Formats: sequence, C-alpha cells, structure tokens
Amino acid sequence: MTSEAFVAGITLLAFGIIVAGVALGSAIGDGNVAGKAVEAIARQPEARPNIFTFLFLGVGVLEAFPIIALGLAFYLLLVVVRVPALLTHLSTVAK
Amino acid sequence: MHERIGEHFLWHLPVLGDVHADTIMTTWLVMIVSLVFFGWVGATYRSKFISRRQTVVEAAINYIADLASGTLGEKGEPFVPFFIALFFFIFLLNQFGIFPFKAVGLTFGGSPTADINTTLPYALMIFFMIQYVAVKQKGIKYFAHVTKPFWFLTPINILEELARPATLCARLFFNIFVGELLFVIIASIIQAGVMIGAINLSLLVTVVPFFIQFFNFFVGTIQAFVFTLLGIVYLSLAISDDH
Repeated sequence: MTSEAFVAGITLLAFGIIVAGVALGSAIGDGNVAGKAVEAIARQPEARPNIFTFLFLGVGVLEAFPIIALGLAFYLLLVVVRVPALLTHLSTVAK
Repeated sequence: MHERIGEHFLWHLPVLGDVHADTIMTTWLVMIVSLVFFGWVGATYRSKFISRRQTVVEAAINYIADLASGTLGEKGEPFVPFFIALFFFIFLLNQFGIFPFKAVGLTFGGSPTADINTTLPYALMIFFMIQYVAVKQKGIKYFAHVTKPFWFLTPINILEELARPATLCARLFFNIFVGELLFVIIASIIQAGVMIGAINLSLLVTVVPFFIQFFNFFVGTIQAFVFTLLGIVYLSLAISDDH
C-alpha cells in the first residue's frame, strides 16, 4: 500500500467516525429536547406556545454543533486531503 | 459541475483588496427585495381596511415583538424594532439561496449567509451594540461583571463573552453552508453514475434535492430565529439589573 492510499483510507475512516459521532450525539440531544418538551406540555398544556419557542431555540442551538462538525469534516475530506482527486489519481496509477 | 462551493466571484478593490462580489451583490439585491416587499405591505396601512398581507406579516412581526419585549422588559423597548428587522433580513438572506442564479451563470446568487464574511459582521454588530448599550446604561462599571462572582474567574468570564459572537457567527454560517454543500455532494453522486447491482443509485438520488430544499427552508427559518433570540437574550443579560 502506498502512502497516498494510506492517507486516503485514513481520511475516509476519520470522516466516517466524525459523521457517526455527530449523528449519535445530535440524535440523543434532539431526542432529549423533544422528549422534555412533550413532558412539559403534558404537565402544563396552557404553556404550549412558550414551550414551543424554547423547543425551537434548543433544537437550533443544539443542531449547530453537529453541523459545524460536519462542515469541518467535509473541509478535511474535500479541501485538506482532496480525497476525490486522490482516489482518481490512485485509480489511474493502478491501471 | 459548474456550481462550486467556497469559490466566490471576486472584485479587486484598491484599499480593501479582494472582496466577494457575489455576496455583496446578493445582499444588496435582498435589501432591495425586502424594502419593496415591506413597502408593499406597509402601503396598506393608508387604507382603513385590514388587508390579508397585513394580517399575515403582522402575525410574524408580533411574534418576534412579543418575544423581544417580554424578554427585554421596559429598558429594552427601543431595541424591539432592531430585532424584528434583524430576523426578517437574516430570514430573507437565508432563503435567497433557493433561487438558482449561480447555476444559470450569473455572477450573483446563493445565500449571502453561506459566506462567513456576512455572518461575522452581524455577530460583531450585536456584540458591540450590547457593550455600548450596557456601558451607556450602567456606566463603565458594567465591565466589573466579568469579575463576578469570584475574581479568579475573570479569564473564564472574558472567554465566555468572546465566545458568544464566535458561536453566533459559526452557527449561522455552517448551517447555511452545509445546506449548500449537500447539493454539491448529491450532484457529484449523480455525476459519478453509481450502479449497485441492478439499481441505478444516481437515478435514485435525483429525488433527494427536493427533501434537502425542504430541510434548508426549515433550517434557514430556525437559524434566523435562533440568531435573533440569542441576540435578545444576550442583550437582556447585559441590561438586566440583577448581575
């Protein structure tokens, strides 16, 4: 295995780990926020509009971190290592 | 693939250097659109009858206004119009990326908020406005709040203050930027012509941009709302009496 193939493989692995962690964390967080909001509405149905406001605020603030991580992961994949170009290069070398 | 992410049409200006011309042009276009739209809505106030457009826009404005005046209290009453304008402007900037001006070869188009040069000034504007307002209301002793509750927490408190504009800017920028990036990823999958067994994956993913566009509309609305609401919350923290 050449060092270029190693770099491409490791970068793809890192990208996969980042996306998996991001999906797991944001899913747990979103579930927590929505579940707590449902609990609060069940306890106090008259406070529903106010709870909705803070539900969307919570989801918006929380959703930012996975999106930032995803953006940085794509930056790693497409700009720092340029994996698509690297893979095309490797396939032409292999032929 | 003509549409590229992270590449901007540049103007070479004498003092400023290279500036992102597409972002500037699109922002000006959105300013014209919002002026014309709200002028069109506001024109109905001259007649005695309540029109439908007035009802619809007032519902949205009242929502933000109630939120702002409820959180800020009496002291923050002058800032309510600012936050209403901020919400609607950022909302329009976020949603403007839906028009494919760049795809048909024009030099402008796309969401201006998908450029960090747009979101950072807005975050800094809110940051400096809050410092100015707080100093004007409480005097220079406002800055003593970084030493509370203990003096040795001062570095952490200063870091917390500075992290606010940074996260405000990064949150809006990355949300809109990743939304545009997803289209490029889908486009590259379609272009690659992927076949898995007998299934043509590239043909299947052509329906995905529809859902991404819906997701982007949702995210753009939520992020404009979050940006405005966090600005309101930070301002209310700065001008409240109980520090």
